[in-house]
Amino acid sequence: MIEEQAPIAALTRDVEIGTLAALSATVAACGGGGGDSAPVPLPPTTNISAAQASRFLAQASMGATRAEIARVQTLGYAGWLDEQFALPQQGTRWDWLVSKGFDAATNKNSEAGFDASAWRKLIVSQDTLRQRVTLALSEIIVTAIDGLVGGGGWKAFCAAAWLDMLEANAFGNFRVLLQDVSRSTAMGLFLTFRGNVKADTVKGTLPDENYAREVMQLFTIGLQKLNADGSLLLAGGQPQDTYGQDDIGGLARVFTGWDFDLAGGTTATPDYQRRPMIQVASRHESGPKSFLGTTIGAGTDGATSLGLALDALFAHPNVAPFIGRQLIQRLVTSNPSPAYVARVAAAFDNDGMGTKGNLRAVLKAILLDSEAQSVAAAPGGGKLREPMLRFLAWARAFNATSASDAWAIGNTSDPGTRLGQSPLRSPSVFNFFRPGYVPPNSAIGSAGLVAPEFQITNESSVVGYVNYMQRAVSTGIGDLVADYTGLLALADDAQSLLDELNLVLAAGQIGATNLLTIKTALDGMASGTDAARRNRVQAALVLVLAAPEFLVLK
Amino acid sequence: MQTTLPSSQASRRAFLRQASALSVAGIAAPWALNLAALGEAAAATAADYKALVCVFLYGGNDYGNTLVPYDTTSYALYQAQRPTLAYARSALDATALNPTVAPLDAGGFARQYALAPELAPLLPIFNAGRLGALLNVGTLIQPTSKAQYSAKSVPLPPKLFSHNDQQSVWQSSAAEGATSGWGGRMGDLFMAGNGNATFTCVNVSGNAVYLSGRTAVQYQVSPNGSVPLNALKNPLFGSAAASNALRTLITQPRTQLLEAEHTRVMQRSIDADAVLTGALAGGPAIGTAFPVGNPLADQLKMVARMISVADAVGAKRQVFFVSLGGFDNHDGLLTIHPGLLTTVADALAAFYNATVELGVAAQVTTFTASDFGRTLAGNNDGSDHGWGSMHFMLGGAVKGQRFYGTPPAIANNGPDDVGQGRLLPTTAVDQLASTLGKWFGISDANLLTVLPNLANYDVSARDLGFL
Repeated sequence: MIEEQAPIAALTRDVEIGTLAALSATVAACGGGGGDSAPVPLPPTTNISAAQASRFLAQASMGATRAEIARVQTLGYAGWLDEQFALPQQGTRWDWLVSKGFDAATNKNSEAGFDASAWRKLIVSQDTLRQRVTLALSEIIVTAIDGLVGGGGWKAFCAAAWLDMLEANAFGNFRVLLQDVSRSTAMGLFLTFRGNVKADTVKGTLPDENYAREVMQLFTIGLQKLNADGSLLLAGGQPQDTYGQDDIGGLARVFTGWDFDLAGGTTATPDYQRRPMIQVASRHESGPKSFLGTTIGAGTDGATSLGLALDALFAHPNVAPFIGRQLIQRLVTSNPSPAYVARVAAAFDNDGMGTKGNLRAVLKAILLDSEAQSVAAAPGGGKLREPMLRFLAWARAFNATSASDAWAIGNTSDPGTRLGQSPLRSPSVFNFFRPGYVPPNSAIGSAGLVAPEFQITNESSVVGYVNYMQRAVSTGIGDLVADYTGLLALADDAQSLLDELNLVLAAGQIGATNLLTIKTALDGMASGTDAARRNRVQAALVLVLAAPEFLVLK
Repeated sequence: MQTTLPSSQASRRAFLRQASALSVAGIAAPWALNLAALGEAAAATAADYKALVCVFLYGGNDYGNTLVPYDTTSYALYQAQRPTLAYARSALDATALNPTVAPLDAGGFARQYALAPELAPLLPIFNAGRLGALLNVGTLIQPTSKAQYSAKSVPLPPKLFSHNDQQSVWQSSAAEGATSGWGGRMGDLFMAGNGNATFTCVNVSGNAVYLSGRTAVQYQVSPNGSVPLNALKNPLFGSAAASNALRTLITQPRTQLLEAEHTRVMQRSIDADAVLTGALAGGPAIGTAFPVGNPLADQLKMVARMISVADAVGAKRQVFFVSLGGFDNHDGLLTIHPGLLTTVADALAAFYNATVELGVAAQVTTFTASDFGRTLAGNNDGSDHGWGSMHFMLGGAVKGQRFYGTPPAIANNGPDDVGQGRLLPTTAVDQLASTLGKWFGISDANLLTVLPNLANYDVSARDLGFL
């Protein structure tokens, strides 16, 4: 593992950031201001407009806030990323679960506390870039709490440890991430190689192939050979498979012998769920393991075999475009150009210091690319915001919080009544949606484009979302309620109110026609009293959150 | 609900020619169906209703522990292949099947099979002749021998053994990325004859390429019915103007392609809800008890409810899709899989009984499907991805209490498997689909458009005879 050293320049920047943080806190305390003309305490050091900053934050954070918009304008995009990279992790989900007593024995066989621990981080953690990347990684290297079965219970802790592990690696190196994934109890349970046993000729059993298959198909190299720009590497005009059944059988032999590290204890407490799995030598395949042209010699122990196998996968030229393209899709756009993918893949392969897999370099390449920073003008550009991100954009923008610290948002998976999506609750290892999903019979498909998020967009979900957000903005979810102080101050002036919402939520992308439609409706509503202002704010929020220009980030 | 017998073959074919032509015309405006243009076609089928219901078992159902070899010779082979996973033979006595015709394997040996014990609720339906089993069915491009497979001398389905791709191949004949499936393509032929095209292809479980046609769009409904948009039912925070503004915002045509697609889904949702909520409220009470806490039964109950109001929404032909996940039992096959089968059997039995209650049993044909079968040889406590599998067809029109297809050799790398008991299918999904489609009323010529690989099968092999 090669950790990026903090350069001297970053240290001086930290001092600078301390000052700026205090300034931007002042901005936040002003409660919003009036759209693009919001007062900024210092002349920006960059020429980033508030709308541009908001758009950047829609890609790089859990959602724009007035404070972060000002921060981006002041620091510039790269400076803001560096500031975020330098922020320490801010307490784990695991520790929060313990602090709330969810480690009581009565919770051993429940999921109690998990959703709250996940939502809380997404909504309040200051390291908003790290949270966004963690969420993205959880949708590329997928486990789901429902599938963490057969592991002695403590599913909430197993899932929390998984997200904590992804978060710890979000700015690290992809090779280390692969190592931690492969030894996590969550993956061991979800893709069933915890307890996996070497072949037994007497019983006629072979090693479980589950993880061997999916670590290749989904987490590293994919099914077909790729060029560096993510396009298919053809031979004689035909795509080429990256692996066959023999490779899966060979690699499956590597993932034998792994089991919980009970550290001499039992499963009575959840601690084993955050310890990396350990080897049971008697269950590990002792013969040779051959896959992808690599052979790990007979007698190689389990830990060494794992390292060699992951090295071989990590060295495959597919990894950079395969993972890079999916990260672009989670953060920026559904249809990156091949050249954009190639630039990101190049950063993945070499961070400029000779290191492969440096995710900071990859994230910079993704978020600072000209294709990310220019508004997607093509008719099929941009991406549909995931339902989770829409909800979180609202929660972040208006400082939603849970006064009781319960964060009782729960499982939001039901499309008819909630979001049709919930953290770490994908229905399978194939995520909520596939990177290549094309809506059938659509102009998107006719244009040769993909739109992954449309895989969970249907007649139930589109209405369920609006109903859910109406509930969220008015009564809140559980005791999660937003602070509309700043908006209420603007509420009697529909234009100011709309300008603010358009900027913070929609990156200023709602067009004049729809703004006028909303404004006209708001102008017809009562004003001048607290109750009337509240109605105007809430109506405006629902309308903006349902507007097509908010739903699709260009 | 109409229960009249189907009209004659002749008039049905006449209708289909017209419906097919109309559905082509409908490409330009699939949602704006011109009812007046239907004329004789609509009248030709006014007395006839049929539904196909696909029950998809996501994850790849373990065929070995679903339809279990039971004669002593076969059982011994099965037990030897998976000693850690096999049911005890005595546990199968109560669900051993007594078909009207014993299935003969390639060597002419009469096989016996038993349902997994958890499938016992299906036994009375089998014995009543309304449930049939299809042996070793799976994805193929053309008939394929093991020698051809080994030599790769014929085209094989793309990306064998991969979940997402084989789900797609099963449903659409192509790997992930396919944009139409054979259920949807059947819907294409009939949506012009339905009073409301939206309710032609109905998915109660989310999104599946199976139900997307070349023109038909699947309607995704929740197990509780359509979802009303609160802000259109009641003034948004007291403002009717705000509600109207919302309607404009979310349904207006957009030029940006992603925005346009979203507003298209929203418009369809609002329009469908306006019809369906009222229709379901006016539908008959269904007395059949559906099991509670059974997600598959929840979906199938909604299918039954929609069938019960087919007249009210003008539906003559409907293709439904429901699903249950959790079948990827690499681990815990003995602890997890039996519960899943219980869920399936309870749900299917209740649904069949509901169609009997509604008087439509002979007009509704239900069949199971899955990503693939699994290995017969196990890992320590589960089985891995396979290919061919065993499936069921259920309904009043099914010639049940019978097996269709050929019993595969029970072996590891024997004549009918490609290793570890991964079955090389001897019956193709296309043949299953073709048989269903013919019953549904699709002409031989149109079946070739619905199922592009069907042409690779002899005409005599395109109807498996279970309907």
